[in-house]
Amino acid sequence: MERDSSLLDDYVLSLTDADRPRVCFLPTASGDADHYVVRFYRRFAASCDASHVSLFRRDQGTGGVEDDLASHLLAQDLIYVGGGNVVSMLGAWRAHGLDDVLRKAWRKGIVLCGPSAGSLCWFDEALSAFHGAPRSVRGLGMLPYSNCVHYDAEPARRAEYHRFVGDGMRPGFAAEDGVALHFRRTRLKHAVSSRPDGCAYRVEHSADGVVETPLKVTYLGETPAEGPAAGEALAPVIEPASASRRTRARRRTSRRSAAAAAAAASPGERLPASPEPVPA
Amino acid sequence: MSTGDAPARARADVPVAERVIFAMGGGGFTMEPTNPLLDDFVLSLTPAKQPRVLFLPTASGDTTAQINAFQARFADRWCVHEHLSLFRLRDARRSLGEVVLEQDIIYVGGGSMRNLLAIWQAHGLDELLVQAWRAGTVLAGLSAGAMCWFQGGVTRSSGPPEPLAGLGLLDGSLTVHADGEPERLPVWLASVRDGTLPGGWSLDDGVGLLFRGLRLDRVVSSRPGAGAQRVDQVAGELVRNRLAPELLGDGEPSALGGLDEAVQEMRRVHRMRRGLGERDG
Repeated sequence: MERDSSLLDDYVLSLTDADRPRVCFLPTASGDADHYVVRFYRRFAASCDASHVSLFRRDQGTGGVEDDLASHLLAQDLIYVGGGNVVSMLGAWRAHGLDDVLRKAWRKGIVLCGPSAGSLCWFDEALSAFHGAPRSVRGLGMLPYSNCVHYDAEPARRAEYHRFVGDGMRPGFAAEDGVALHFRRTRLKHAVSSRPDGCAYRVEHSADGVVETPLKVTYLGETPAEGPAAGEALAPVIEPASASRRTRARRRTSRRSAAAAAAAASPGERLPASPEPVPA
Repeated sequence: MSTGDAPARARADVPVAERVIFAMGGGGFTMEPTNPLLDDFVLSLTPAKQPRVLFLPTASGDTTAQINAFQARFADRWCVHEHLSLFRLRDARRSLGEVVLEQDIIYVGGGSMRNLLAIWQAHGLDELLVQAWRAGTVLAGLSAGAMCWFQGGVTRSSGPPEPLAGLGLLDGSLTVHADGEPERLPVWLASVRDGTLPGGWSLDDGVGLLFRGLRLDRVVSSRPGAGAQRVDQVAGELVRNRLAPELLGDGEPSALGGLDEAVQEMRRVHRMRRGLGERDG
């Protein structure tokens, strides 16, 4: 849900293989912020059967799904997790049993996605900076890696992530704003971007210390940029930009398989129109 | 999950009798925008001359409405006020320990009790609040922010009312909004009768219980006619005792907080002009 681009949203919708996907929004990490929910419907309601689950206003009949959350979530094609605070979100999810429901949804082949906190949560470990020193947060663990988002946007984020991986955090993936990591089962299939120059990296520990390897990132826009240097070093992710990319992605990802797309946020995801920016 | 943030400096514990909790069944700035009696009472509970007041809007998901109402109420009062968001402040440089353990009053808003406790626990804030209470910080709150201090309460966090365990700083259970949301009361009474919840108090909107240590010291109210009751289960039967709250401020809300009305209005306009696009915190 970047303000100025629907490229990442279109991409993740293409992974569902449904003509009119059932998409449910979980805005928990923002405290179920109203303006975020409104933005979700603006973006998705026309082309999808869109719904949202509010864990803060379950008693107030505000149009969100109530009663049997599990059945509702397990009947979706795509579950879209909004950005915000990942620790608060995971705490609230556990209190309502949504952590187990989301693991079931993943095993069932429902596409899971989200920016920022909505990316960090799927990994085994995540780097979160909130109220003081950055720290490691344990996510739902479907993806056996660590994750770091806003890699370019936050000063010192890169150095902190390297330090944590050096100190024993699992190896993992870092994504700049506007870049999404697409996993199928637990394997990274693609790194895609809504910006011509978006970068993502594999970060791991080696004999020589922490090594950061740029991933090949595919720009999703119409006019591919003049090859950013990032794509060239190593490419565990192999998918050159082309007009038929989306069609092929669709063919490859069958509904039966478990797929998770984790997206890093763009500044647009921080809700600039609101006086309350949503943190990582 | 622990925050891993050590408090800047640990304050010494105060004797049990000097630990203060003020639990409201409803009322205060989020529910009584024109009646400051309960909030002024909260301010009076600390000996600090210019109290530091921290608002925790966690149970609502840190809604702008609650935060604005807090600021509107306390901006013109003689205190240093701030709120702590567990969702939205990305630039917070102070650790949670530093924020929580250096307050005179911590005021907890209403909303989802289940989310409140789960999110506090995820951040390690529950332990920090216990430390703050032991060190003499006044803990105040309404609704979910009142029930959380007891052994249990009745929440509508998942829709229908149901009993839920609290932090257990105070013995007994609490149910809130007895007049405003009457559907909670039968669930609470049934839970006390069958032992799911210990005996405790039922409060109307506008009524607050003041605990010094573990002992109920005063029952106060901002509204004429608002009531409270103590209910216990004895040999399978409910024993009810009606409590008569003392009406604060002789029932006449002093909405001006000691300031001339014109000054108050001018400040309000000034704040609105300046503050609409302003970031909280």
